[in-house]
Amino acid sequence: MIDTLHQSGGRGTLFPGTPPALDLRGIDKAFDGKPALVDASFSLEWGEVHAIVGENGAGKSTLMNVAAGVYAADGGEQTIDGKARSPRSPMEATAAGLGMVHQHFRLVQSFTVSENILLSLGRDSRIRTPAQAAAAIAAKAAEVGLPVDPARVVADLSTAERQRVEIVRVLLLGARILILDEPTAVLSEEEAKMLLSFVRRLARQGHAVVLITHKFREVAGFCDRITIMRHGKTVMAGAPVADIDEGEVARLMVGEALAVSERPLSSPGAVNLSVSGLTQKPDRFGQGLNALNFELHAGEVLGIAGVGGNGQEELVACLTGLSRQDQGSIRLGGRDLSRASPYDRRKAGLRIIPSDRFETGLVRELSIAENLALTQVAKGNFGGTFFLNRKGMRHAATAAIQSFDIRGASPERAAALLSGGNAQKVLLARELDAGMKVLVAHSPSRGLDMKATLFVRNAIKQAVEGGAACLLISEDLNEVLSLSHRVAVMNRGSIAGCRAIGDVTPEWIGALLAGHV
Amino acid sequence: MFDAAFLVRRQAPGLLLSGACYAGGLFVGLAVSAFLLVQAGVPAGALVDEFLVATFLTSDGLSQTLTAALPLVLVGLASAVAMRVRFWNIGIEGQLWLGAVAATWVALGGIGPEPLRLPLMLVLGAVVGAAWIALPLWLKLKWGVNEVISTLLLGSIAFLLVQHLLFGVWRDPATNFPVTAAFPEASRFAATGWGQLHYGFLLVGAVTAALWYLLDYTRVGFYADAVGHNIKTARAAGLPVGATITGLVLLSGALSGLAGVTIIAGTEHRLSQVVGNGYLFSAIVVAYLARAKPVWVLVVALALGAVFTAGNVLKVFYSISEGMIVLVQGTVLISILMAQFFSTYALSRPS
Repeated sequence: MIDTLHQSGGRGTLFPGTPPALDLRGIDKAFDGKPALVDASFSLEWGEVHAIVGENGAGKSTLMNVAAGVYAADGGEQTIDGKARSPRSPMEATAAGLGMVHQHFRLVQSFTVSENILLSLGRDSRIRTPAQAAAAIAAKAAEVGLPVDPARVVADLSTAERQRVEIVRVLLLGARILILDEPTAVLSEEEAKMLLSFVRRLARQGHAVVLITHKFREVAGFCDRITIMRHGKTVMAGAPVADIDEGEVARLMVGEALAVSERPLSSPGAVNLSVSGLTQKPDRFGQGLNALNFELHAGEVLGIAGVGGNGQEELVACLTGLSRQDQGSIRLGGRDLSRASPYDRRKAGLRIIPSDRFETGLVRELSIAENLALTQVAKGNFGGTFFLNRKGMRHAATAAIQSFDIRGASPERAAALLSGGNAQKVLLARELDAGMKVLVAHSPSRGLDMKATLFVRNAIKQAVEGGAACLLISEDLNEVLSLSHRVAVMNRGSIAGCRAIGDVTPEWIGALLAGHV
Repeated sequence: MFDAAFLVRRQAPGLLLSGACYAGGLFVGLAVSAFLLVQAGVPAGALVDEFLVATFLTSDGLSQTLTAALPLVLVGLASAVAMRVRFWNIGIEGQLWLGAVAATWVALGGIGPEPLRLPLMLVLGAVVGAAWIALPLWLKLKWGVNEVISTLLLGSIAFLLVQHLLFGVWRDPATNFPVTAAFPEASRFAATGWGQLHYGFLLVGAVTAALWYLLDYTRVGFYADAVGHNIKTARAAGLPVGATITGLVLLSGALSGLAGVTIIAGTEHRLSQVVGNGYLFSAIVVAYLARAKPVWVLVVALALGAVFTAGNVLKVFYSISEGMIVLVQGTVLISILMAQFFSTYALSRPS
């Protein structure tokens, strides 16, 4: 792999003799001591469309955010058009000719397109009135061939139109290097094709474009070179797309860690959870679910891998009872829970570890004791109708803090003050109780350090050995592979395939992740 | 100078810092209020006299302060219980008017046997107050209609209904003024004989104690806190979210209605166009400063009752307008809110 690292010298260059448009070398970046980028590098030539691919959390967006001045790197060098430049803010990056379009658009909904662009032009611009801005936008839109109507209010625009506004804005600010962070994730097939053709045209006119993506289809069809990242490192730097096939991309994305051993079920138990035909129409922003079918046996972990945003959140919401499926059934230990309330589902033995601990798991403002008692009080475990046994809650919390080794915690302390790992332990202490039959865990070790991750995984292992069934939904392949007995891959709201752990190969999983087959 | 400054949320504002901020805010608020009153023509020396001595330290003043505080406690509690589940009841005056109308109907019509007249007024006032908030509650739960707008506008409708009645069937036949006839004795709270204070204070005390117990020692308060802080987690944890919101919001309406009955059965003894004015603003002030805690509602309402009492004296002796009293309330509220803000956030400027 090392030999592919610094091969960019001239290959794929459409404008020979020019310095690279953007060059990043040895970039390090850590968040709260957790490394996100380790000696990452990237080189972009004028005139090319360059894809950056990698799993969730591989560091693609982080590296580009460093380039665009959103994050300050802890170490490393950056040049823009041959000059040493490390922009300290997005404004500085734009001034140097580099602009990024983020996944979440940064537009004021109630303003018109002109007003939005006027807002970001800054004090030095000669464009000072909405009329001047409208004229400039129309001119730029015509020049690059991207339809944008300056007079419309952003709130009335479709997602694709908003994205076009963002692109025109960045270009109008003077960017010749354009970074697009997963631009097609929010688009329909047709819109995506149109955007990618535009991007290619723009590059050929002398710009340079970075495309962050998960989809090999887009890389093969529209990009000149590809850089692959894994665990914050560049594992392949700027290989011509023509020289690389999909299997190799999948293997590099996923890594060697995939070598997994057979993990036979000690005793395949009865079916604990059975989901059949689970279907939900997509809402305005989300992904729908298409006829999901799976069964979960006692003593088994079924891992669901997949790139985030392919229906995982929706599946968890449906299982929790926070949203209701349009069709299909959910049965737990023979009981039909398809229309049951979250309370009845819990009573039947369903336990949930959500991906965002503080969104649907814990209440920041409440104390640790209260959070631990959250699911218990309604069952009458801490006093009846006329009295709430807060002393009992504190005692139970003290015991849980000891047995789960929750650091920095006392029963009275607000949950918000806990570190990620310890907050997750509070959640585990509450959910992994004696009544648990099925555990739905969504990215249970996301954002945790090594030690906390091991703790969480061991807790899940023990729960399963104790006879529970676990549905493990995670974007972290390592996590799925290290715990599961069977692995399924989710893509666009469907289960694209399911295999026993012994039959899982990097090619199979990579292809399903990228949306092929 | 503030070209680049960021607000950073403090991790755990300690009790000392919170306390200091609160006290500082109160002090600044009182100082600004004193300055305003002096500018308006009240001699500086009279301020302490009117606001402290004549409100708490004389027998007459104290009874006056207590009497004024009774409806303030009820509307403060009304605002507080709804606030606990993040429901902004801006229609407190509307529910108060409706409660008063229901009680007036019982009083003027002589409904029910005399010994049960007052209890009937109280119960009916509470029920009608709850009914008046039921519509905005239903709209919010069913369709997500913003309750700030719906409760506020229903308040105006309630006041129009009161005017309709006062200028119509309930106009006082003796004077032809748009006020009702005085209520018969059976429809009044009995006087204690100490100043204007009436036995309604027992009711208000009992209600406060009951709410304090409900919110601090039963699961209702526990549910309310979970729902108020993070409704999604409360749902996922299987808490009765809908029932908690419904129960506390209806309770809020009932308490407002009860406040209306307390005013007309306790001190006014008739319905007029002014009995309910200003209680919405005061309710929000009380609930906010008390951080939606029943016992603190009692304390803050007493302080506000003193401001009203002193205000009435100032109005008479120094021709201070009613607006000045509202201004004093607002000044104290704003300065304490600002102080609270800085106990939660720190201002940080990158070097």
